[in-house]
Amino acid sequence: MRSTQLSISCLSLTLLLAWAAPALAESGAETYRTKCIQCHGTGVLNAPKLGVAADWVERTKKGKAVLTRNAINGINQMPPKGGSLQLSGAEIEAVVVYMLAQLPGDGAAAKAKPVSTAAKTAKADSAAAAPKRVAEVAKPKPKPSAKKPKPRGKPVNTFNRLMRPPSQRNLPPTRDGIHDASSVETAALQHPKEAFGPMPKSNSGNRVDWVAALSKGIIDPRFDLEDDTKKPIVLDLNIVREVKGSMPDVVYPHKQHTEWLDCSNCHPSIFIPKKGANNISMASILLGQQCGVCHGRVAFPVSECRKCHSKNKSKVAKK
Amino acid sequence: MYESLPTITATRTDATVRTANRRGSAWLLAMLLIPAIFFSAANAEYGDVVINEVSEEAGMRPVVFPHWFHRIRFRCKVCHADLGFKFEAGGNDITMLKIIDGEYCGACHNGNIAWSVENCNLCHSGKPGTKTQVHESTLQKLVSPVKR
Ligand code: HEC
Ligand code: HEC
Ligand code: HEC
Ligand code: HEC
Ligand code: HEC
Ligand code: HEC
Ligand code: HEC
Repeated sequence: MRSTQLSISCLSLTLLLAWAAPALAESGAETYRTKCIQCHGTGVLNAPKLGVAADWVERTKKGKAVLTRNAINGINQMPPKGGSLQLSGAEIEAVVVYMLAQLPGDGAAAKAKPVSTAAKTAKADSAAAAPKRVAEVAKPKPKPSAKKPKPRGKPVNTFNRLMRPPSQRNLPPTRDGIHDASSVETAALQHPKEAFGPMPKSNSGNRVDWVAALSKGIIDPRFDLEDDTKKPIVLDLNIVREVKGSMPDVVYPHKQHTEWLDCSNCHPSIFIPKKGANNISMASILLGQQCGVCHGRVAFPVSECRKCHSKNKSKVAKK
Repeated sequence: MYESLPTITATRTDATVRTANRRGSAWLLAMLLIPAIFFSAANAEYGDVVINEVSEEAGMRPVVFPHWFHRIRFRCKVCHADLGFKFEAGGNDITMLKIIDGEYCGACHNGNIAWSVENCNLCHSGKPGTKTQVHESTLQKLVSPVKR
């Protein structure tokens, strides 16, 4: 299963590279984030840190080709391919290009003389690595150098001023601001993107549609601590709550909830099990009561109005 | 390098509650609908719980519990009904003694269902100084001038 997925993603990467060499740095960034960041993001084992010039000055003098070869074969404490043996030579080269591009001043020395080390290694490496792609890969890339050097300090007119920009979503634990990146074990924690990859997407929260992931069988969380064959008893009962004004009525579905939860999680501590017996309002939901005990904390956030307010009124009431 | 973390102070929450009671939902809704929402140094996963009731006092980093990771493996019911975790960050009086005796995290992190407690820093992985919180919760996300 895992290896199928992997080869599919390798395949798509191959296609991607063949068609769009400029996307190289981009894919290098992605590989870096999933396979190399543990060491190169933190400096563990004295790995040269991403973007830290002092760690790289001596190394860049070797040239990109040698760096790539060392990354492929391993050097001192650096295991071959950083331990991700499934990566092709070209993929490693893409990461090296990305790493060099992150240096202030841009590691130009290393980029001046691109040699096709990757060509040799990649060919031997896997059937997936087509020579044609490698030729593309070995061409000098203007893209990464055009992007840098990174401006120092925060620019004033960022596109998103108060909202989190897309580049800041689903960050790995080492960069998420609540984990201690200097702790070696933090690097062992899973990158959310890796786990979320196969799941249906949504617009908020974890950016994953948990209901769809479950109903499509993409995830199968246990219902019992030990016995993974036990299944929940699902109650299919919708409760419609009428809402004054223009907002559509709220349909509360027992079905999706009893997939995840036990009756005792809500009854009677949060809701009296009687239609209309509870006085629910948006204000209390926003403050983390009633539906807001879970929504806006772990289950999808309150910003997803339409998921709850799902029943359009036949005639919009006007006041 | 990092700015201080976006925690809502107690006074802020109280003020919000009081205002909400006085003026009702319209005010809160207006607040939510301001298209400007939350931007800070901490960008962790929605639903990550930091538990730091006793850890730092005892010289360990705060604990980070990732909901997203665990809900791929277990339904909420297992922890919140069978194992008795209350829906409240920091509200369960978890201690290492209870954990090694098989309660709370220890019901699974026992070398049987999941890796065992000797891996201290996989749980105690929080940035020093981070307070108990549910990361990205509604109140934490609402734009407020005190935060910046
Ligand atoms: C287990 C930790 C670890 C991982 C994972 C890792 N590296 Fe390294 N890397 C190191 C260390 C340590 C060094 C320094 C080696 C030395 O002493 O010269 C290094 C050095 C390098 C160098 C410089 C080599 C040289 O000749 O100076 C490159 C390039 C590199 N790594 C690329 C990568 C890439 C690409 C990945 C991901 C596919 C990766 N590394 C993953 C630990 C790691
Ligand atoms: C219902 C069982 C269960 C409970 C309770 C539980 N865990 Fe876990 N946890 C797991 C399993 C299963 C894994 C995956 C283990 C593996 O990778 O082998 C895991 C993994 C983890 C991870 C690593 C995630 C990663 O990125 O690999 C952390 C951190 C963690 N748990 C923290 C906690 C903390 C803190 C608590 C208590 C507040 C807790 N867990 C309670 C079952 C549980
Ligand atoms: C996520 C929370 C949640 C869970 C879990 C949950 N319920 Fe409910 N339940 C509600 C809400 C909300 C209402 C509507 C209350 C209202 O309208 O005031 C309700 C109403 C009911 C009613 C009243 C229906 C009526 O027409 O009067 C019954 C009976 C009920 N639930 C049974 C159950 C049973 C049995 C389970 C477990 C299989 C369960 N519920 C699980 C939230 C929940
Ligand atoms: C005890 C926790 C809990 C409470 C309380 C709760 N929910 Fe949920 N709800 C969940 C979880 C978990 C899901 C699964 C989806 C997710 O996690 O994003 C869910 C899913 C839903 C869905 C399904 C969305 C879909 O994509 O099909 C709707 C609609 C919903 N909730 C509405 C409500 C409403 C309305 C209330 C209050 C009356 C409420 N919920 C109270 C936990 C809760
Ligand atoms: C988790 C489910 C849920 C989400 C998400 C949600 N609502 Fe509601 N909303 C409710 C429930 C339940 C009520 C109460 C209905 C009733 O009176 O029984 C309500 C009531 C309302 C009301 C009527 C006034 C009041 O305060 O009771 C308005 C207006 C409203 N919601 C707007 C919104 C907007 C705007 C959004 C999106 C930002 C939103 N809601 C998101 C569940 C939700
Ligand atoms: C592996 C165990 C585990 C699973 C599975 C789990 N939780 Fe939790 N949950 C916890 C722990 C641990 C806490 C923090 C308790 C503490 O700090 O004492 C927590 C806290 C919470 C809180 C309280 C946040 C607050 O407001 O303070 C909510 C709400 C919650 N969980 C909802 C859910 C929902 C919904 C699901 C299912 C989608 C779920 N949890 C699945 C372990 C779990
Ligand atoms: C499965 C997750 C997990 C692991 C592994 C773990 N802890 Fe804890 N630990 C916790 C939680 C949860 C708390 C309660 C956090 C709080 O409220 O501040 C805690 C609290 C503590 C405390 C505070 C005082 C006390 O006695 O409760 C100390 C000290 C501590 N842990 C040390 C350790 C050491 C040392 C190890 C490794 C041998 C370790 N922990 C492994 C989850 C874990």
